[in-house]
Amino acid sequence: MIHDKKAHKYGMVIDLDKCTGCGTCAVSCMSENNVPFKEDESDKKDSITWMRVYRLTNGRPFPDTEVVYMPRPCQHCGGKGDHGHSPCVSVCPATATDYGYDTGIVSQIYTRCFGCRYCMAACPYHARYFNWWDPVWPEGMEKYLSPNVSPRMRGVVEKCSFCYHRYQLAREKAYVNGTDEVPEADYQTACTTACPAGAIVFGDLNNPSHKVHQIVKPDPHPDPLNPDVVGKSRNPRVFRLLERLGTNPKVYYMSEREWVRKMGDHYLDGEWDKVKNVYGSASHE
Amino acid sequence: MSEIENKTEHGSMDGATAGTAEDPKNDTGLGLGVIFFIVAFLICFLSGWLLFPKLLYSKHEQPFNFDHVLHVEETGDCESCHYLRDDGTFSGIPKLASCLDCHTDEPMGETMDEAVFAAEYVAKEKEVPWYVYARQPDCVYFSHAAHTEAAGMDCKTCHGPIDETRTSRLYEENRLTGYSRDIWGKSIWGIKKNPWDRMKMNDCAKCHVQETGHKGYCFQCHK
Amino acid sequence: MKVDRRSFLGLGIGAVAGIAVSPVGAKLTDDFSIWTQNWPWTPVPPDGEVSYDRSVCNLCPGSCGITVRKIDGRPVKIEGLDTYPVNDGGVCLHGIAGLQYLYDPSRVKTPLKKVNQRFVPISWDEALAMVTGRLKQLQEDQNPEALACITGSAQGSVPGLFNHFMAAFGSPNCLTMPDLESWLVLTATTLHGPKQTLGFDIDHSDYILSFGAGLIDGWGSPVACIQAMAGRKQREATLVQIEPRLSNTAAGADRWIPVKPGTEADLAMGMCGVLLKENLFDPVFAQGFTGGFMRFTAMVQKEYPLDKVAEVTGVSADDIQKTAIAFAKAKMPVALPGKGRGEGAQSLKEFAAVHTLNCLTGNINKKGGVFVKPLPDYLSFPDPVIDDMAQKGAAAEPLAASVQELMARIDQSDQSPVEVLVVYNANPCFALNDPSRVAAAFEKIPFKVCVSPYMDETAMASDVILPVSTFLEQMEDVPSRAGLAASVVGLARPMVKPVFDTRSPGDVVIALAGALGGGVAQSFPWENYEDCLKQLAGQIWKPLTRKGHVIVSGRPPAGSVETDFSFLAENPDTLKPAGDQEFTLIPIDNFRVPSTVPAPSPFAIKTVSDRILKGTDMFVEINPQSANHLKDGGFATLTTPAGSVRVRVHFNDGIMPGVIGMVKGLGHTLNNRYVSGKGVNINALISPTIEPGSGMDAAYGIRAGISKA
Repeated sequence: MIHDKKAHKYGMVIDLDKCTGCGTCAVSCMSENNVPFKEDESDKKDSITWMRVYRLTNGRPFPDTEVVYMPRPCQHCGGKGDHGHSPCVSVCPATATDYGYDTGIVSQIYTRCFGCRYCMAACPYHARYFNWWDPVWPEGMEKYLSPNVSPRMRGVVEKCSFCYHRYQLAREKAYVNGTDEVPEADYQTACTTACPAGAIVFGDLNNPSHKVHQIVKPDPHPDPLNPDVVGKSRNPRVFRLLERLGTNPKVYYMSEREWVRKMGDHYLDGEWDKVKNVYGSASHE
Repeated sequence: MSEIENKTEHGSMDGATAGTAEDPKNDTGLGLGVIFFIVAFLICFLSGWLLFPKLLYSKHEQPFNFDHVLHVEETGDCESCHYLRDDGTFSGIPKLASCLDCHTDEPMGETMDEAVFAAEYVAKEKEVPWYVYARQPDCVYFSHAAHTEAAGMDCKTCHGPIDETRTSRLYEENRLTGYSRDIWGKSIWGIKKNPWDRMKMNDCAKCHVQETGHKGYCFQCHK
Repeated sequence: MKVDRRSFLGLGIGAVAGIAVSPVGAKLTDDFSIWTQNWPWTPVPPDGEVSYDRSVCNLCPGSCGITVRKIDGRPVKIEGLDTYPVNDGGVCLHGIAGLQYLYDPSRVKTPLKKVNQRFVPISWDEALAMVTGRLKQLQEDQNPEALACITGSAQGSVPGLFNHFMAAFGSPNCLTMPDLESWLVLTATTLHGPKQTLGFDIDHSDYILSFGAGLIDGWGSPVACIQAMAGRKQREATLVQIEPRLSNTAAGADRWIPVKPGTEADLAMGMCGVLLKENLFDPVFAQGFTGGFMRFTAMVQKEYPLDKVAEVTGVSADDIQKTAIAFAKAKMPVALPGKGRGEGAQSLKEFAAVHTLNCLTGNINKKGGVFVKPLPDYLSFPDPVIDDMAQKGAAAEPLAASVQELMARIDQSDQSPVEVLVVYNANPCFALNDPSRVAAAFEKIPFKVCVSPYMDETAMASDVILPVSTFLEQMEDVPSRAGLAASVVGLARPMVKPVFDTRSPGDVVIALAGALGGGVAQSFPWENYEDCLKQLAGQIWKPLTRKGHVIVSGRPPAGSVETDFSFLAENPDTLKPAGDQEFTLIPIDNFRVPSTVPAPSPFAIKTVSDRILKGTDMFVEINPQSANHLKDGGFATLTTPAGSVRVRVHFNDGIMPGVIGMVKGLGHTLNNRYVSGKGVNINALISPTIEPGSGMDAAYGIRAGISKA
């Protein structure tokens, strides 16, 4: 039943020109997903933020400095060739994380995880976080916890799930309505709905009627220069992070500014000029 | 001279060869050892199979007895009380508010159980702290809608003929894990006669493989 | 037969073998591993029926509509309310974190009184009796004007009830903390006459000239502004941002014009000069110019020649000229005053000068322009019953025009002219410049009452704390404030029963009035706050309760607007940052750090960059070009005339050389370990400077020195 219908491929595109860096996506995510907090959260290496907002600058001196903010959820990589061998999934010895071929979403099962943190080492995007301590809420505050997401315990890894519980709930709603189609509006992540600037668009990359598909225009064919890369955007303003690794993230970014798009990967001298006309350009159109 | 000293003299001087077969004393020792072995084996074996399962569970009586037969006669089916909400989520064990659709703090029948219900819960506006036999741990996401609506299964397929029960059985809770015995497995032998005898992950997966050809991805049943 | 060692060996082996072939080992291993994944102390949130309830957020002047997701009545998530006229589904991080404020460790759980510098729980009856006892004493002494009151904002029925109480009691000393709205009201009053405010139609404007207004950094109604900015590119509207630091707003603007801190007013005057010289002002609208327009014109030409302005502000004459002309030639230009969030220490001269640009282009009361609108008057308070004593007291000269001025006056006096101070929803002991002086003034006031949900710095300096509910636990009308074009009134409704022994602030005022008796009690004829609000709201009560909000005015106000130039024609001084050191320290309004009431939530603090706060260390921003021997990330000593602190240095190319920036709103000392003791309160480094024309504190920045620590 899972395999006999066309699989979804949920993903998002984030407009970095619209993002204000306000941090609402991050807090909406924490509130939605029962993410705990500690007394000191300024050591960002152990500060659990499924959605983290990075600040990027063009590095130029005053007054030519420019700044953009880049929200970074789990990229839900499809792995090389988009076959589901995400960097983290491939290394997990406990099968505590797997690739959902029906949705393209990379799971994380806390009770199955035994905390070896291989996945964290494997993730090129630092999207995974380890619970060094048991979560503790101030007295009474655990009353706001949501039953839809299981609170984590000490010693396990956690990460963004694209609010999978919202997909679960949307499917239940669809079932009682006598369908198993989940409408675009019924499954939206907490960061998407919260963003006051409307910078995040979420939906099924495989569904041409979804807005995210229309913006990203994912190329169904492998990149001729790098067959590991699948689903490259045919929108010249859209790029992915470290796209050339072939991790095939399902989170796309969008900017009109070239220096921002160039921040999506590490380029050697002169390399960007060579690739910019292929990556994130009109070459496929 | 004590036994131990005796042994030390012989054993230590003669080495390994002097030991076992030739010494008649040792024979009786072995014989006794075998008996001890058998006795201990039997005690441990039997308590492992018979006593241990009993000790592993704490047993709880429900707050009061619930007669499903009576209620099904009145309401007609399972869904009158255990229904899917409009948003597709499952209502589970009814809350007091649902009961009050019919009940008041005046008992309708003559059973002691209903009197307890009326006096202790309805009158005091307290939720009944039912023990839920089929409660899965927090990491499990289970969609009733997917099974009853999409797959068209009925309640009995997994829960058994609960509608035919007149009494509420004891709730058994695993002392270590806190799981209900209905989840962990009724039979210590691991024999599963009915779907409702055990509902661990492999039981879910087995049926999923049979019915859908795939056991499903983690997030299908986890949260 | 003897029982020997081997017998025991047999026993042991038998036992082990027996257990080994029983299920004990396998089951215990399984159970043990399950146990380690289900620690009993890991909370299991109870499941239940989902419901959604709508309300209005009251955490900041934004007043956004929210929905609260509940599980069996238990709130678990706050989200934006679709189609609400302020925020249309949008929401900000503080609103989402609203549930944390319900259970905040600094909540005051029961009324408290201070005994020997420690707080002791008391009953509501005792607390109210203590306060009324003090108030009755003032009445007996025929000295009602010795009661002063500070509220966080001026609008809505609850601040209205405090005002009403003060009027009935007979004291003119009811003051509001300096928020954007109060500056806008002051500006509108100065230029267009009393009881008016300004609203900016940035949604439709095609050219926004912002003098430091942090449109995506929390200015005005933050979510509404962010939404307007998100739609700006599609509308092809231009945003020019003028400020010393590349704020997020500047980073997203079409053009960032760095300006020397504290010279924004001069720049605006210079631009006025360009418009006047080039004859680019609207002659039709100019017919409404009264009060010294000619004098103003002459003064501007004389005092603000382009080259002089260029030198003072650090913006090239060419830039000033071109920007002013582009602004004037746009179809729907709007100039925005109010640096950062537009609250705290600002300057009336700057607000007036910037708004004069709007007046000159005549884009007033038109789509995409500035609305000069009357203050919302949807509440009909009855006239207070005033006896002779109250009349005499109310007629007394107010002690001060602003909270800062009042605090300075008390601090300088031998015996405080204020004997009883009531503070509601405000934290002057943290949010005003030089809070130590505010605290010293508090010390001199014999009796302070704090009406607050939180044990904040001001509550800690008070004698009695009356704990009130948060916005999620009570009903209250929430008028939109702060520069929105439309005036919307929302109704916050209780989403959850009060978590602690708290009351609605409206009920507290009504109870106090009732206990006082006499004219004050007669002025409060309501049973309780809900009854009161119903009567005050009158006709709009029904739509308010049915729809959750009422749009009081949406379109541009009709009628002509008069503009009085006499304030600016006198060319009041531009207040320069005090001191003579090398650098200028300016506050940074960061969206993630609220700087007034309430203090940041744990979630908000969690999002703060480690280049703002690391451990308990505070970072300051400095341009590497002017950093001399300082090292990025290194420690330094920052010194201003008001004090000296140890900070860490963050090199930021996006701040003008010669300027040091520090995020405002950190360095709390309240009773919440997730928020307290982190960083430095920049207010402690800035001495207030009262602006002569407004009586308000206008010290936005201060001169500072920095050296390697």
